[in-house]
Amino acid sequence: MFDLEKAIKDWRNALNKNEALEDGYKEELECHLRDKIDYLIGLDSSEEKAFEEAAKKIGEADCLGAEYFKTDTRGASGHPPWKKSRWLPPLFSNYFKIGLRKIKRQTLYSLINIAGLAVGLACCAVIILYVTNELSYDAFHKDADRIYRVAAHRISQVGEFYFVATPAPLGPELVRNYPQVEQAVRVVPPYENASHVLVVRGEKRFFETRIWFADEDICQLFHVPFIQGNPQTALTNPYTVVITEGMAAKYFGEEAPLGKTLQIEIDYDTGSVEIRDFEVTGIIKNAPANTHLKYDMFLSMETMRSNLSSFEEDWINPKPKYTYVKLAPDTNVADFEEQIQQAAKKYAQMFSERINRKVDLYELFLQPVTKIHMYSHLMREIEPSGNWYYITIYSIIAFLILLIGCLNYINLSTALSTTRTKEVGLRKVVGAHRRQLIWQFLGESFLITIVAFIVALGLTSLLLFPFNQMAGTELSLTGLTQPIVLLSLFGLLILVSIGSGVYPALILTAFNPVSVIQCKLAPTSRGALVQKFLVVGQFAVSIFLVICTLTVFKQLNFMKGRALGFNLEQKLILRVKSNLNHLRRDYEAIKKDFLQNPSITGATVSSSAPGDRTNSGYYMTPRIEDFRGAPFIKVITMDYDFIPEYGIKMVGGRSFQQGVGNDENEAYVINLAAVKELGFSSHEEALGKYFMASYHRINKRIIGVTDDFHYRGMQEIVEPLVMDIENSLFSTITLSLRVENMNDLMRFIRTTWDEHFPGVPFEYSFLDENFDREYRYEEQMGRMLGIITTLGFIIACLGLFGLAAFVARNRTKEIGIRKVLGASTANIVAALSKKFILLVLISIIIASPLAWYSMNTWLQDFAYRINMSLFVFFLAAVGALAIALATVCIQGIRAAMANPANSLRNE
Amino acid sequence: MAASTKPLILAILSNGEIYGYQIIQSVIEISGGTLEWSEGMLYPVLHRLEKENFIQSQWKMSETGRRRKYYRLTELGKKELDKERKQWLSVHKVLSRVWDPLPEFD
Repeated sequence: MFDLEKAIKDWRNALNKNEALEDGYKEELECHLRDKIDYLIGLDSSEEKAFEEAAKKIGEADCLGAEYFKTDTRGASGHPPWKKSRWLPPLFSNYFKIGLRKIKRQTLYSLINIAGLAVGLACCAVIILYVTNELSYDAFHKDADRIYRVAAHRISQVGEFYFVATPAPLGPELVRNYPQVEQAVRVVPPYENASHVLVVRGEKRFFETRIWFADEDICQLFHVPFIQGNPQTALTNPYTVVITEGMAAKYFGEEAPLGKTLQIEIDYDTGSVEIRDFEVTGIIKNAPANTHLKYDMFLSMETMRSNLSSFEEDWINPKPKYTYVKLAPDTNVADFEEQIQQAAKKYAQMFSERINRKVDLYELFLQPVTKIHMYSHLMREIEPSGNWYYITIYSIIAFLILLIGCLNYINLSTALSTTRTKEVGLRKVVGAHRRQLIWQFLGESFLITIVAFIVALGLTSLLLFPFNQMAGTELSLTGLTQPIVLLSLFGLLILVSIGSGVYPALILTAFNPVSVIQCKLAPTSRGALVQKFLVVGQFAVSIFLVICTLTVFKQLNFMKGRALGFNLEQKLILRVKSNLNHLRRDYEAIKKDFLQNPSITGATVSSSAPGDRTNSGYYMTPRIEDFRGAPFIKVITMDYDFIPEYGIKMVGGRSFQQGVGNDENEAYVINLAAVKELGFSSHEEALGKYFMASYHRINKRIIGVTDDFHYRGMQEIVEPLVMDIENSLFSTITLSLRVENMNDLMRFIRTTWDEHFPGVPFEYSFLDENFDREYRYEEQMGRMLGIITTLGFIIACLGLFGLAAFVARNRTKEIGIRKVLGASTANIVAALSKKFILLVLISIIIASPLAWYSMNTWLQDFAYRINMSLFVFFLAAVGALAIALATVCIQGIRAAMANPANSLRNE
Repeated sequence: MAASTKPLILAILSNGEIYGYQIIQSVIEISGGTLEWSEGMLYPVLHRLEKENFIQSQWKMSETGRRRKYYRLTELGKKELDKERKQWLSVHKVLSRVWDPLPEFD
């Protein structure tokens, strides 16, 4: 018996075979079939015959499906044949919507991704600012490529030196005799008090450190914009000064400074020092951060000439003077350098005439001004040079952080891919080409990167302040507007979004859509391997950073700590930075006054405090008045209390004592390093020997030898040192404190100071802080590493957290079954964690040798260093494991708590 | 499918709203049986015409309780029909000349 309905149903099912036939199509076709059957039955056909005929007329499912498919498919260009392509890629609005929806729905993962990328991008932004700043020093001057500094290379009996100081007459000589020189300008720090020029205006008195004498043309040679005053005439007359806006505000406040006076004290090393009025003849903009010559005030060179009549003829005065020249365009620099050796000869000649010592070689060479900051490491530099080493290190660190963030993104996206398979499958079915899907995913990663970027901008402004503190720079967000910075950041954006997005895009789009829609796709073994690889990568980088940070801190502590050889805690340093005669005082009386306060347990006076970079020294000769070949030994002059106050240990002889011998006039104390320098094989041999010092020409004998103490810090080898009681060089008061109430104490010290040194600015510092500053670079690096490491670790853990959550979700069925079979929470957590713990272990194995090698190389730079300790590695490993465990456990516990009935119920 | 399908369908629809089976019937009627389409193949064409916005469809319930998909011409479709008519007429003119040669004079 022919069943029409059944036949129709079977016919309908046969249509299902072709995937392109959607439900609507099938319904319409069925409707047509029925109409046809009705018609044929109306023509007296049997049901069976009618059905056969109708079905035949309609056609085969495959043909129909193919036709439908053709109308739905896009061409190779990705556009439907009836739609013109717009300038936006097709489905852009759809992708955008889906992208946003994805972010909203999976907020946790998206936030993790964004956070990771944002942190990495912020670090990179800061480093980009730093590097562009460092590399752009002095590039802003007009015609900067024609501006050079003249430097000198000298070989004489004393040794071979490269230094930046040039003779004063050189500048004018160059202009006079060489047509290639358009301009020559000299910059001269005050001879004797460059680091403490007293500047006074009414009540305001401060020591300034960035005051220079300069030739008139300085503001034309260097790009120094004038705000007020006439650049042509501002520095023509003696006793005129040009000040920066910052100085104007500091000394004049709201008042207009032009035409008014400042009292400035300069020591010309002529024996008398006076404080004179200088007229303010110009206001200039503050010195920018990226110039090697930072200034607050320029004094006219005419002033110098008025006070030192020999200034323009003196070729051999050793005080530093800096000469800058601007060459005519198209000058051949090498030729010019050869020609100026004529001028160099003048120097060599005068030197051997006046000093009676032969100069083996003296030549001048030119340094392009733009290269000074990064490439010039000569003696007598104006300021510490930039350091390629640190630029490289910072860049590497920033890159590592960014890498962790990107790895995070890749990892999470890949893991989440299994939830996207249905969407991808569906898109493929309705005709999406693989290329379009790849664009979709790249677009999504671009979207996330942009959001991360915006967050990163905010983070950058937060990071800049601590970074500036540490690196001593003045970076600001305005630096971001420089074209090269914008370009780099944009490039970074593209790179990161492509780099993060391309892998998930590729693997997500690479499978058969139908099989995916019909059944759940488990991560392929290849995909899982890559995931593991990424987790290992993230943790390896983080562990590496942790080990480096811990080692750097250990080294820092070692350097700062007990091994210095003298006490530096609770010591207050006061500087008497003025040579004005009426301030020379009876130091013993001063000390007594300070000691009146019970919180002050000791006081001593010396020429310098430990840590000061003094270049003062004596030439010491055992023969009377014959200093040929005499070694130059650094000196600290002190009173009787210095050695005991600082707790310096003696290894032989005795230290200075009052009343015992005539120590003031007859005694030296030296350190162990000096013993060798003076030619003795042991300290016993040195005791009792007589030496004469070039400074005061008195024959004194060595009464004691101290142990080597690191008065210059642990980075440097202890140099030979001679200690002498010599009043004329005193400038530092050290107070040993036992503080109960700091405020009261400071008030007391301040009052006492004012009594003895009226009018001299009160400047103090703590010795341990000074020493901390010695290690500024290392401290910086340590702190940077610390922050970066923490950040890196946080990102890695977030990534692990997300991943673990995801894996736990995937294994809910398994967990449900385990629970039903009686596993406890702990068992389940253990089962989940095993895989991850193994990964972390692998990371540790990878990271440790790399870290060991890097730290070993870094430590070689230090004269005194710690040994790499296994403990640090152990700590890092344990820490990493603990954190990883904790992260995974949280997820594991959450999964284990779930009701197995729920997880087993649905599929 | 033949290029003539499009103008034929559009023309048929210009008379009013009908459903797929009716279209097939109309074609058979109009052509006097000379044009017989593979019936199922009509529908993908309708589908494409709809995507191009020349026609519009609507599911309607008939009195017999059967759902049918009705089609009608859109404004754009009307314009397209005009365009097709002009094209085909000019083609017809040319072809006619080719096929009916000028009378020869004996």
